[in-house]
Amino acid sequence: MDTYSKVGKSIKRIDIYEKVFGTAKYVDDIKIEGLLYGKIKRSSYSHARIIHIDTSRAEKLKGVIAVVAGKEFAENFDDPLFGNPLSDQPFLASKKVRYIGEPIAVVAAVSQEIAEEAIELIKVDYEQITPSINIKDSLRNETTLIHENLNNYKCLPGFHPINKSNICHHISIENGNTEQGFQESDLVFEDVFTHQSTQHVPIECHGAIAQFNPNGNIQLWTSDQAPYGVRKLIADALKMPESKVRITNATYVGGGFGGKLNLSGLMAIIPIAWKIRYRPVKILLNREEEFIGVTRRHGSIVKLKTGVKNDGTILSRSAEVLLDTGAYADLGPTVLIKAAFGCIGPYKVPNIKVDASCVYTNKSIASAYRGYGVPQVCWAYESQMDIIANKLGIDPLEIRLKNIVEEGYITPTEKQKVHAVGLGECLTKVSEKLSRKKIDKNIKNKKRGFGIACSYKTSKTPSGASAFIKLNFDGGVDIFVSSVEIGQGLNTVLAQIAAEELTTPFDNIRVLSADTEITPFFPATTASRSTFFAGNAVRMAAKDIVEQLFKLASEILNIKKEALALKNGAIFNKDSFDKKITITDLLEQTYPGGNSILGRGTYYHYKEGNIPSHIKLESPPLLVWMYGAQSVEVEVDTETGRITILQVLAASDVGKSINPISCEGQTEGGVLQAIGNTLYEELIYDEKGKIMNTSLLDYKIPSALDMPEINSILVENPHKEGPYGAKGLGETVVLPTAAAIGNALYDAIGVRIKDLPITPDKILRALKEKKK
Amino acid sequence: MFTLGEFMKHLIKLKINEKNYEFRIEPNILLLDLIREQAGLTGTKRGCDTGECGACTVLINGVPVNSCLVLAIETDGKEITTIEGLSNNGKIYSIQEAFVEEGAVQCGFCTPGMILSSKALLDNNPNPTEEEIKKAIAGNLCRCTGYSKIIKAIMSAARKMRGE
Repeated sequence: MDTYSKVGKSIKRIDIYEKVFGTAKYVDDIKIEGLLYGKIKRSSYSHARIIHIDTSRAEKLKGVIAVVAGKEFAENFDDPLFGNPLSDQPFLASKKVRYIGEPIAVVAAVSQEIAEEAIELIKVDYEQITPSINIKDSLRNETTLIHENLNNYKCLPGFHPINKSNICHHISIENGNTEQGFQESDLVFEDVFTHQSTQHVPIECHGAIAQFNPNGNIQLWTSDQAPYGVRKLIADALKMPESKVRITNATYVGGGFGGKLNLSGLMAIIPIAWKIRYRPVKILLNREEEFIGVTRRHGSIVKLKTGVKNDGTILSRSAEVLLDTGAYADLGPTVLIKAAFGCIGPYKVPNIKVDASCVYTNKSIASAYRGYGVPQVCWAYESQMDIIANKLGIDPLEIRLKNIVEEGYITPTEKQKVHAVGLGECLTKVSEKLSRKKIDKNIKNKKRGFGIACSYKTSKTPSGASAFIKLNFDGGVDIFVSSVEIGQGLNTVLAQIAAEELTTPFDNIRVLSADTEITPFFPATTASRSTFFAGNAVRMAAKDIVEQLFKLASEILNIKKEALALKNGAIFNKDSFDKKITITDLLEQTYPGGNSILGRGTYYHYKEGNIPSHIKLESPPLLVWMYGAQSVEVEVDTETGRITILQVLAASDVGKSINPISCEGQTEGGVLQAIGNTLYEELIYDEKGKIMNTSLLDYKIPSALDMPEINSILVENPHKEGPYGAKGLGETVVLPTAAAIGNALYDAIGVRIKDLPITPDKILRALKEKKK
Repeated sequence: MFTLGEFMKHLIKLKINEKNYEFRIEPNILLLDLIREQAGLTGTKRGCDTGECGACTVLINGVPVNSCLVLAIETDGKEITTIEGLSNNGKIYSIQEAFVEEGAVQCGFCTPGMILSSKALLDNNPNPTEEEIKKAIAGNLCRCTGYSKIIKAIMSAARKMRGE
């Protein structure tokens, strides 16, 4: 048993009082003197050349301060394009539009109402081009190019946009010999699974304030998950030093889920802030814009071919993965990486072949969404796993346990050693512990079924984090980090870590919100990485403080540093306990006029095969592998096709749970979000690329009435490099849900749905087919 | 001389969190904007502007409403309760306390509206079933928590308020 006093305890969230009292500040709560209100004029066509934009009527409207269109901004900044890894996106379209809703002009006015009125007065003449809406058409059709010359774009090394095509990144991976593997197999399965496109739907819509300063700096106040990432996007595009762009997080973010990762839906704020320099301007998207103007989850088509022996051993697997990334690459290429490298599943497969493409279409932009490409492939491989198990007559748990990866196994895609694999335990526990609900025997048309699924995902490496800790004269502690509290409970976890190391009460800790001019580097609050990376950095910064305190105490107490220990805020001789000094007394005696102690922590996690030659590591780096499994009980009404989730049991290997109640909360919320993504959420596009459901009435997310019983199990297989063994959780909990539900549905009524969402009409159709 | 805009403004008197307010407002201003922009009470959140998410829930004479769907002018003479009005002199209100105890908060954006809907429920029904709680907060969407801890918190607050 560990002996931690703060870590591993369900301590109340550090931000909870502010949040229940309604004083927690979000971007729309920031008041700045002289603030103007911005509104984006958006494209009405999915693919068209812009012939002319007439802003004159809008400019004349009383209360309008300025209007900016793409051309003026582009000319001033030498055609700036943003995007990482592929810079393909203009701040405002000036030559052609590529999706309905694409920003083409922005108005700044003295009130929101006037700004909204003004954009209606902007007249745009278009010349329409045939759009490419369907991913398969886009992949084949080389005449409708969404980006005419992909080679002209700046692109990070390792990414492969194919010129004169609609493919913005392509990946092939091969290991072993799949053809031979299929020949040696007793049975070969081939299935195609599709995943619909969905939206993050944070309750807080995107918002930002931007201001150009006369000294050449730009400041933004944002609701985003990656202040340093946003800064880099803007600075790179405008060809200015990163340090001249300041991103201040608006204290709290009202839900992210990947959607507020890089603020691409709000980049139009830069041209208008430039135009009205030097006044601040705010753009707050409304709910409709939140659907059409910000990123979404990739729709996907995954073709999976798997060869198995009669005993269930997988011999060979090939996968074709297509991601519909919409009009601009955004993070699509890196989402493709996670999908391509993750599509074999957490299984030992000697022969693999993957062919994956990220494909442009004239639709709104797809990018990061909780799971980052893995939900799409997990839906495929875990559904097929049950198809295989069923055909071979093997229990679904047994076939998984037979094939799952084990500690030290080198994966065929990443070619990295797996570590801290709690997958078997997760699978076993969810299968054992879900006790089936009692069936009311009087109801004839309702059938029940049980399903399991599992998954894995890696966090992002190489990746790092830095943290400062300021120990105040009175013993209070301020933590400076740039990972963002988006609801996941990160600030609490970081405070627990600092309190643990400094042996100080939890109440003594504060965590500052990210500000690129104050808090040190953190790449992005994504990939379930904050606890691992920022947690390690904070722990190191706290240890640095302890080290400094020991040095000061050793002089005052006249004891060797090595003989000192810290407990309950006091430093003492650990052998004899005879000498003791509290931290506050120590500071007072050392710095009579007051001072602070500054702790620094920098943690960097390399990837094997990717380590700079001069860096010497004690042991090879191990990727941050996250594993989880879920079991689901469903009830299906065979007359209406309605599927009810009765209960879900979700187990995740968290390495070490720093705050169990937070982990539980994240599990419950993540699973319900995944249920929404499985059963009813879907962005519906018409044939012209227009999203048809742009309100919460038409795009339903789960309400309290849709909530089944969700229980969580936290498995703890410590990661060697995690803080106290901890690793991430946020994404693990959404990965297996869809397949577990699909498998439970099959168990209940014997039909297999392969395209999400699993709707009543699909179930009824499948039942009809089955009867034939 | 009045400008046309001022001429069109109406004087309304109402109570917000038991304090008297007077506002001279245009007839089309929404209660949400009045509360946030003019009364400066930003605990009431804007989530959709169409009454679908519940983040802007306040109580009008004890009844929960989406303040983005109500014209401010309709609240003349009425009593509004916002999240800022629940705690008395810094003393935490029972439902807020239950949300703290049960860990029923993540990003916090739905929390004020959620707590107000819960208050309206418990004021009228001190002993609700789980189903009744679910119905009462069905109009308050939460994307983070999965509602489970919220429901537990409301149950626990109800028990406490009943003196159990």
